[in-house]
Order: sequence, then structure tokens, then C-alpha cells
Amino acid sequence: MRSSSVLLASALALLPWNGVVSAAALPKIDFPADSPVDLISADYGESNESARGGALLLDFHAALSLRNASQRKIRGITLLVSAQDVTPGGKGSVTITSLDVGPQETFPVRIDLRLLRPLQASSSVPVQIGLDGVLFDDLSFYGPDKLSSRRTMTLSEWEARRDRRYFKSVLASGGPERLRQEMLESLTHEADRPSLDVQVVRGGRATNFEPEKQLQFAFLRLPDSPVEPVDGMARIAGNEARAPRLEVKNRSDRAIRYLEVGWIVHDQAGREFLAGSVPAELNLAPGQQSRIFENATLKFPQLGAQPLAIESMTGFVSSVEFADGTLWIPTRGDLGSPQLQRVMAPSDEEQRLAQIYRKKGLTALVAELNKFQP
Amino acid sequence: MKRSTMKHPAEAQMALFAGGDLGRWERWRVARHLARCSECQHEVQALRDAGTQLRELSAEMPELPNNLSWSRLSQEITGNIRVGLAAGEAIALFDKPAPSKPRLGWNAALVILGATLVFGIAFWTSLPPQQAEHLLASLKRIRTERIGNVIHSAAATPEEAVVEASPAGIQVKENGRTLSLMQPRSDGATVSVSMQGSAGVRFVDADTGQVTTNKVYYAEQ
Repeated sequence: MRSSSVLLASALALLPWNGVVSAAALPKIDFPADSPVDLISADYGESNESARGGALLLDFHAALSLRNASQRKIRGITLLVSAQDVTPGGKGSVTITSLDVGPQETFPVRIDLRLLRPLQASSSVPVQIGLDGVLFDDLSFYGPDKLSSRRTMTLSEWEARRDRRYFKSVLASGGPERLRQEMLESLTHEADRPSLDVQVVRGGRATNFEPEKQLQFAFLRLPDSPVEPVDGMARIAGNEARAPRLEVKNRSDRAIRYLEVGWIVHDQAGREFLAGSVPAELNLAPGQQSRIFENATLKFPQLGAQPLAIESMTGFVSSVEFADGTLWIPTRGDLGSPQLQRVMAPSDEEQRLAQIYRKKGLTALVAELNKFQP
Repeated sequence: MKRSTMKHPAEAQMALFAGGDLGRWERWRVARHLARCSECQHEVQALRDAGTQLRELSAEMPELPNNLSWSRLSQEITGNIRVGLAAGEAIALFDKPAPSKPRLGWNAALVILGATLVFGIAFWTSLPPQQAEHLLASLKRIRTERIGNVIHSAAATPEEAVVEASPAGIQVKENGRTLSLMQPRSDGATVSVSMQGSAGVRFVDADTGQVTTNKVYYAEQ
């Protein structure tokens, strides 16, 4: 009798069910007292939870309304999302860039989060949402910066300024029709750009039977880059690339504290993709050479019906941060090289401007460009 | 015929033969051997002489107490020898080498080997070059690393944290639990990963027009 009750209870637990997330299970939003943004409202309208076998699936759809409580314009914001009970080592972030939010203005932030955890897990508040950083139009920053969001948002703002300058010059030199042509090319490039699913596993453990081989990087040298890639290799096994090692040289007259190398892979079918990036925090004096090593594995599970088989790799320096906090990013001219053009996505700002053109037309695009001072 | 190349009956058999105590079949076999082997004939004759002498001696011996007689003791000893011989033969069955297989066994083995070779060649030639190369590489790896090692490294342990990015969303998996950030209806999702253990997807929110970048990170605790 007792065992049949246990069986019945187990069977019931395995049945799929759906429900509204209880108030106690909703994310806890916590901003510092001196935060430059205030939370005006939080709507979790479509959030729900459902059982999937022995697991609980929590779907949070949060629509937050935030207000700029500072006296400066906000260009970017990063919110930190953590679920300590679910993934103690895993965190998430939601970053909005290319903002133009003046003092006391409000702006929306949407967070669509899904958690999968065992049914028996603790029923305490599973998700905490906090502030990781806010970037202002004078490039000053506020926040704990646990996720290096200062650098990420500053790089994005530099790219935005570069691209706005470029499109303004196109408008000035070629008129609206030339700008329209640029936008159409950008939209076509975005639609044609190949993309693929990627996994990163720290530690670089082998997970397939393919024999491993050492593959040298070829390098795409950008003329203005303050860093010169000297040598590099990675261990390749079928669709996995492990433990990349790179040798870089600072050819500028300033010390460098961070750099990122973009990684393009070519498969046996002749296709190429921007696979990922190898970032490095380092202290590289002018003229000095340094080695970068990451003990991680990149996996490309599938590309259509066939797994991707890596044939060759190309690396290029995609960004540099100097010790004085200033940045280097490739110029529009650098990005015009055929190989980069094939694989690189347009910047945040170019993508935003192209969508404005697509949805609202050329006049709205010109007005948007004119909103920003050079 | 030389003794070294001829198979002679055991001494015990010859002793029993000399005393007339062997079974019919064994007796016939020993007699057949004696007809060709003078050496054994001499041995049997010597045993018979010894038996005759023994019987003569037993007649001269004093009476045994409690109804025991020499003839009865002799019968018991003979019986014990027979039991011992039977046991020895039974044990010897286990020590005998397996009887040689008939020639047909070798023929069957050759036929099976030939069929296997033909099948293997047909299978290999019918494989597409890429798959053949893959199979060869896998076999080489098994040979060089031993199959136990390969299996050990092949499966990702459940404790391994994986950061994953696809245009549908990004997620970090840890101990069978998952944290995913999904993007709403959006235009042009761009996926990126960093070897430091993060994955991101950037999109323009179709409703707000904002450029949003969702990221997941994994850092060991």
C-alpha cells in the first residue's frame, strides 16, 4: 500500500504541469542606494513555471522600467543576473548599448531568463538582478564592474562613434542616396553572414575520437594595430579547437593592459566563420613580446546536417586597451578587407541604424544621425 | 621393434595379465602386444614365475588367525589393484590431449576467413573517402591510446560546466542545471564566444529598437 502510494506520487510528479510563478519565486532586483538608475516598475506578466520530468522549468519574462537618476546622459547599462542555487558558477548579463537617455528620462529593459533545476531544489528566491555598470556619454562609469562591463560598453561606444562619423561623412559626401545604398549593403551583409552554434568548455577536455593535430594560425595584420601577432597555434580534433597559444608583440609606444584576438575558422568545405575571441589581461610594455594561453575548448556541434571539420585558422587583433584606459579598435578601412567583411558582424550601432532605416526610412535615419554631436 | 618407439602395456596391466585377472578386451590387447614384443613376453613370464613362487611360499606359511586365509588376502589385494587401475583410467581422461580435429574444421575456418576478407574489402571500398578516413583515424586512436582511455576521455563529466551560444539563445550548464538567456522577437542575432568562458548573443529588439547583448559566463567557484 505504502509503496503504491510512493509510485503514484512519483508518477504525478513526472506529469507535465504549468503554473504561474509565485511571488516568492520572482527575481529579486537590488540596485545600490547611490545608483544612477532607479527602478520604476517591474512586470513579470508572462512568467511561468512547469515540470519537465524530475526538473522544474522557470521562465521569467521581466519588463523593467528604469529611470536615469543622474545628471548625465546614459549610453549603456549592464544588469547582472545570477541564480546562486541553480548555477553557482554561472552568471548572466543583459547589456544595452547605443542608448541616448537624458536625465530623468525612462527607458525599458527586457530580461528573458530560463532556469532548469531539480524539482526538489530549495524554493528560495532563485534569481537576483543587480547593476553591474552604467556608462555615461562622457565615458565615465558607475558600478561594481564584476563582469568587465566598463570595457565592453566603452568599446561599443567607441565603435558607435566611429560608425556614426562614417555614415555622417557618407551623407555629407554622397547625399541621402549614398547613405541608403550603405544601409542596404549593411542589411544584405548581415543577412548573408554565416553563423554557427558554439560551445566553450573550460579545461579543454577532449570529447571526441578524432586524432589531434597542431594547427598554426595565419594572421591578418591590420596596418594600424598597436599589437602584432607573431605566432600562434591550437590543437584541433575534428570539430574542436583546444588550448590556443598566441605570441603577441606591442609595437606601440604605450603599455597595453588588455587585448582581444578574433579567431576565424575555415572548414574543409571552404566555409569560414568568426568562431570566437581570445581575450587576455596582460601587462605589455612598449616593444615587449608576450604569450597568451587559454585552457579551454571551442566546439562547433553542428553546421546544418554535417559537423564542422576545421581545416585552418586565421587570427586578427580586434581590440586593445592601453594602460591609460584609452582603446584601439579597427578602422572602417581595416574592416573593409575582404576576409573580415565576410565574417565580421556589423557593430552594435551600425546594426541599430540599419534597423531604423529598414523600419522607419531614410528621413528617420538622417534625423537619428543628426541627434549625436560629432 | 625398438622399445622406444613401441607403446607397451603398463606394468600393472602385465601383472594382472600374468595372474589371469585382466578383463576380456584388455587381455586380448595385451596378448596381441606380447605376440609382437619379446621384451614384454619375458616380463610377463617373470611375473608368472614370481606368482608361482609366491603360491608355493604361502602353502608353507602357518595358519592365520580368525578365519583369515592367504587366498582371501590375495583376492582383496587384487580387488584393490583393480579399483586403483579404474580410478587411474578415469583421471587419465582429463589429462589426455584433446583429440585432433578432423580436417573439415580447418576447411571451415579457411572458408570463414575468406568470406570475412571479401566482406571487409567490399565494405571498405564502398565507404565514402571521408568516412573511411574517419574510421581509420578512430581505429588508430584506439590502438595508440587503448580503448579504456578513449572511453574515459570521450564523455564529458556531468560536473563539467559548458557555456553555449546559438542564435536561439545562450546558456550555461552546470551539474545538469541550466541558466539560459533567451532573446525576444529580434532582428539579426549575432553570436559570439570568448575562450575565457563566456558566450553572448547580440540583437536589436524589434519592439524597443535597442541593441541588447545577453551574455552568460562561467567562473569556477
